[in-house]
Amino acid sequence: MAANTNGEGTKSSGVALLVAWLFVGIPLGWGVYNTALSSMKLFQAGPAPAMPAPAPSSPR
Amino acid sequence: MAGLSFLDRERSVAHEGYSRWLVPPAALAIHLAIGQVYAFSVFKIPLTRLIGITHSAPNDWIQSQVAWIFSLAIVILGLSAATFGKWLEGAGPRKAMFASAVCFALGFYISYLGVQAHQLWLLYVGYGVVGGTGLGLGYISPVSTLIKWFPDRPGLATGMAIMGFGGGAMIGSPLAVKLMAHFHTPDNVGVGSTFLTMGTIYFLFMMFGVFTIRVPREGWKPAGWTSMTHAGAMITTHDVEVNAAFGTPQFWLLWIVLCMNVTAGIGIIEQASPMIQELFKGTIGPVAAAGFVGLLSIFNMGGRFFWSSVSDYIGRKPTYVIFLAAGAVLYWVLPYTGGNHWNSVGLFVTVSVVLLSMYGGGFATIPAYLRDMFGGYNVSAIHGRLLTAWSVAGVLGPVLVNYMREYELRHGVDKAGAYQAVLHFMTLLLLVGFMANLLVRPVAQKYWRTGSATEKAA
Repeated sequence: MAANTNGEGTKSSGVALLVAWLFVGIPLGWGVYNTALSSMKLFQAGPAPAMPAPAPSSPR
Repeated sequence: MAGLSFLDRERSVAHEGYSRWLVPPAALAIHLAIGQVYAFSVFKIPLTRLIGITHSAPNDWIQSQVAWIFSLAIVILGLSAATFGKWLEGAGPRKAMFASAVCFALGFYISYLGVQAHQLWLLYVGYGVVGGTGLGLGYISPVSTLIKWFPDRPGLATGMAIMGFGGGAMIGSPLAVKLMAHFHTPDNVGVGSTFLTMGTIYFLFMMFGVFTIRVPREGWKPAGWTSMTHAGAMITTHDVEVNAAFGTPQFWLLWIVLCMNVTAGIGIIEQASPMIQELFKGTIGPVAAAGFVGLLSIFNMGGRFFWSSVSDYIGRKPTYVIFLAAGAVLYWVLPYTGGNHWNSVGLFVTVSVVLLSMYGGGFATIPAYLRDMFGGYNVSAIHGRLLTAWSVAGVLGPVLVNYMREYELRHGVDKAGAYQAVLHFMTLLLLVGFMANLLVRPVAQKYWRTGSATEKAA
């Protein structure tokens, strides 16, 4: 492996970088996807019902 | 302990060829895990049905008792960050991350025992105190390491990690819901087994961060970067020790800035779902309101990365000028977007998501602001002490919002009108923060650590 004093990456660290970012990126992407799906309800829902339904469990 | 010597700072010094871009995912592994705390509300109802299963039995815990678990965890987060910050600077990020992972997982395991024995105090001690200690340690553990690896882009680097804390709830919430559904039986709500499983999953996930994190070698700096070329009047090239920083006016001014920004943000987060429904009665129902809450979470997370990155270009003080000045205006305008005035859902949502992005941005930009003021030497420890502002805001925000709203309602103001007073009060809080930010000046020479400069500490 070539020495790189800048720490900007080498051939072998390229694979390590990809794995590392996928390791955190996949769960984060899954979470964002789920939240984005949930937030679409804001734009899809029709007028509010006359009688309020039970409040859903909020992620926050 | 010899077996744990791999956690020592000396053993985590980067080898030749180590890419600094491995440090943000290591930090994210910690923050994405501990950010689960913001999803604790998904356990609230199951924890009140441990005996009754489908409903709350007379001997079941009630929601107000269960709510203390989250509050305790957030208060302990601030106290733990303030207490262990100085230890962390000596012990190094790997040891601190490991301690964080152990505490966070142990918190889940103790809570599992509390659920099995139906002893609420075990959840207070477990998730609240032990888990909360893990939260504080984990939150600050990668900060100074990131700043040392990215002296050229400290806002971007710390923003990436702290973005993870905002995103943690987005993973923790659906994960907990799916696990509880998996473990649910006719005589068990499944929350105990979910605690046990999540403790294990998060521990293993955090171990990735522990084994990936590295500190830079003595004297390392990015190619072509010199601190002087980037230093301006508001970026010091000197270091200030944590105890000295604690005595500076700058520390307390930034404490006020963070406290006001967080308190105001909680004004929206705390009331998001009922607020949009009551401001747009007949237009927005509970399902759409839940979508609104999700949208706020995305902007809260995205704002952490966006604003902290922007601060690298426009400077930390101007970034907070935007947060606090624009925030004050937007909080003033927000109630007028409701059904009683302009009746614009689109405008209400737009203003709200911008405000939430600046709330998240305030969290993510503060480590870089501290580094600009006090240097990189003790920045994690100083950040840890500053997070007590979060603990205070975490109590102050909901109390202010709820009491002010109830006061207005008791005095005959309608529900939509009651939000006007609350949101306009948030404007005042942001103006206090704005003034504090304007007063921030470079730290006086008498506080500087003798014989050191930021680049030497790296």
